[in-house]
Parts: sequence; C-alpha cells; structure tokens
Amino acid sequence: MFDLNSSELRASERPPERETPERVQAFVLHHRAFFVLLAVLVAQLLLLSVQITRNQKVRLIQVWAVAVFDPFARALRGSYDATTGAWGSYRDLWRAQQQNRELNLQLTAARSQILQLSQQAAEAQRLRELLEFKNQLPFPAIAAEVIASSPGESSKAVFIDKGADAGLTPDLAVMTSAGVVGKTLAVFPHTAQILLITDTSSGVACTLEKSRVQGILKGGNLNACQIHYVMNEAPVSLGETVLTSGLDQIYPKGLPVGFVAEIAEGNIYKTIKVRPAAALDRLETVLVVVKPPSSELQAQNAPSHP
Amino acid sequence: MATPTHRPIAVFRMHPAILWGTVFAALLLQAFLPVKLPLARLFDFPLLIAIYFALVKRDPIFAIGLGAGMGLAQDALSNGFIGVFGMAKALTAYLAATASFKFELDEVLARLGLTALLVPVHGLFLLVLQRGLLEAPPPFQPLDLLSGALVNVGLGLVLFQLLDRFRRPA
Repeated sequence: MFDLNSSELRASERPPERETPERVQAFVLHHRAFFVLLAVLVAQLLLLSVQITRNQKVRLIQVWAVAVFDPFARALRGSYDATTGAWGSYRDLWRAQQQNRELNLQLTAARSQILQLSQQAAEAQRLRELLEFKNQLPFPAIAAEVIASSPGESSKAVFIDKGADAGLTPDLAVMTSAGVVGKTLAVFPHTAQILLITDTSSGVACTLEKSRVQGILKGGNLNACQIHYVMNEAPVSLGETVLTSGLDQIYPKGLPVGFVAEIAEGNIYKTIKVRPAAALDRLETVLVVVKPPSSELQAQNAPSHP
Repeated sequence: MATPTHRPIAVFRMHPAILWGTVFAALLLQAFLPVKLPLARLFDFPLLIAIYFALVKRDPIFAIGLGAGMGLAQDALSNGFIGVFGMAKALTAYLAATASFKFELDEVLARLGLTALLVPVHGLFLLVLQRGLLEAPPPFQPLDLLSGALVNVGLGLVLFQLLDRFRRPA
C-alpha cells in the first residue's frame, strides 16, 4: 500500500509529456536546416530528372515515374484482368449452364421426335409390307388398326377399328403379312372383335407344307397352338410350316399359320405344338380378308383335294 | 581546433553588395578564367565562396540557399545538366555551416583544413551523382580529385584572407 502511494506520488510529480504534434513540430524546427537541404536536393533532383534522358531520348523523370507507377499499373491491370476474367468466366459458365439446359431440352425434344419418327417409320414400313401383301392376296382385304385387347386372361381376342360399316361380317379371316391372326368373332357397327388362333376356342383347318398332313389347329396355353388329329405315323418334322387348308370355309387356303415347334408321340395322335407365324402379342395393323363368294372358295379348295 | 559547442559563437556579417559582388565575380571567373588559363579548370571559385560564407555567417539555411544558387548558376553557365552542381554545392555549404557550429573555425588553418576536406567531398558527391544519373558518367580520376583539392586549398588560402577584410561582427 505504501509503495503504491509513493509510486502514485512520483507519477503525479512527473512533468506532463508534450503532445505528439508538438514533439514533431519541435523536431522539425530543430532540424529545419536539414529539411531545407533535403527539399533543395529533391527539387534539384527532379530538375535533373527532367533534363537527363536515357535510351531513345526518354527523360529520366519519365523513367522514374514509370519505375514508380509501373508496378502499381501492372498490379491494377492484373487485378482488372483477374476481375474481368473471373467475371467473364462466371458469365461464360452461367451462359454454358443456360445453354446446357436449353440443349438438354432440345435433346429431349429431339429424342422424342426421333422416337416418334422411328415409330412412324416402323409403322410406315409395316403398312408398306401390309399393302404389298394385300396387293399379292387373291382376295379383297380391309386394313384395320388394333385398338384394344380382350381384358380376360383366358380369352385371347383383340378389337379392331373396323366394323359392319366397313363391310365386315363374322367369321372373316384376319391376318398380317407374317401369317394368320384369327377370325372376326363379333362385329359391331364401328368395331369388331377378333378371336386369335391361340384362343382355346379357336380352330383352324390346316395342313403341313411338306408332308401335306392335315389337322385342326387349336389354341393352347402360353401363346402357342397345337395341331390335333395327326396320326403318330404321319411324317412331321420340326420347323415345318403350317398353312391353312381352307377346309373350314373361313381361312383361304395356303396362308401361313405358324411353324412346328415341338413334336411328341401320343397314344394314337401326335402332339404337335406350333409357334404362330404372326406376332400375336404385338399386333398393330391387320388385314381382314373379305370372304370371297363360296364358289370361289370351292374353286380354290378344289385343287387341294384331287 | 575542436571546442565545446556551448561556447559563444562569433557570427559575422558582410555588406550585401560585397556579398553578391563576390558571388557574381566567382561565377564570372569560373566561367571565363579557364579560357585564358587552362590550369584554372581545377579552380572552383563558387565552391570556395559558398564554403567561406557558410563558415562566416553560420546559418545553414543561408548556406544551402547560397550553395544551391551558385551551383545552379554554374550549371546554367556550363553545358551540363542543371542541378548537378546545385545539389553538390548545397550539400557542401550545409556541411560547412553545420561544421562551423561544432568547431572553432576562425583560424585560417582550420578553415583550410575544412576546405581540404569539403572539396573532395564535393567532388565525390558530384561523381556519385553523375554515376547514378548519367548514362555515360565521366571516369573516376583520383589524381584529378586530389590535385583539385590541393589547388583549391591554395586558392582558398588567398581568397579567405582577402574576404576577411570585408567582414564585420554581427
């Protein structure tokens, strides 16, 4: 406590320190002559620098000025370049992002268009094949679009966009360029129901192309058909083409139905599984063969039964 | 020669006409004497005058002004760059005035000793300035520097005695 008081006393006895500006002023006044000398030397140095020239007649003051200002100018230029560069990069990036977004949209649209065009091309190809096939057919035929399929699991049928108004009647053969599809089952004014050959209730009189063995093709499970009533002794080979025989009075003779996929011996009759020639699971356009007059049918069928 | 600085300093004054007449005469001699007398190129009248008045008046600011003014005039009369002699003489005169505070320089020998010191300083400063600023500076010739110092000390011996006749205590 005593020490503290004494130190406080000593501090109070200390003369007040001069303010900083006063000290600076005193220092300048004390060294006035030196500062005057400095000013005179600097002034004359500047005077000299205006007169003296260096390479290519450049005045020294210019050299000095450039030497002093050049680093700042370079730094400023560098900062400006960096800033503008960064801003330009950001702007380019933003533009690239926008462009990327637009290009993605265009790509999506183009892909969609390509898909649409390829579908149209496929459809055109399919229709061209169908038209060629139609022209080759000796019977008149009406083209129709498949518009719906049968909702039942057990029944295999589809609906087409042509009906009675197009001249369709029940029991007309329906086919594609690949082969027989089925027959018209029910005809409505503007639509018609087609019973596929794979339906269990379907029956097609057929004959094997090479062996000329005849049978009845009925629908089976898993989109396959089976030929019934073919004797075990009948020579049937795998892959053999199955054609319509025309005996059922519905399907014209000689239309491809499918190919022999499996052969098995039974008690009396063979079990012959047939893979349909037409792609029944992805039908789009079909031809409905308008039934020719019965006389024509009989005339057509006549050669097959000599 | 050296004495403490807190002694009474003797300051002299001179009639302005004599002062400026001397300055003018020094510049005139410096410019035209070497034409007639080749040895006179070693003389530096303006420097000696600047040193003398710096020592006599003991005013550094006056010394700087006088030295710079005479130097600039010398530069103007010469073919060199204006400012070279001005800077060198301003610095030399400042050093002389500063030294006059520190030392008792009323004696002739003391002033000559200081002159012998300041003339090479002036020459060296000129050399440094020329080497630093000029693209093709003159070569360093120590003999010229030394001979110049000796010649000017001798000239100062006469000149200072002559000028002392005109000074009066302030």
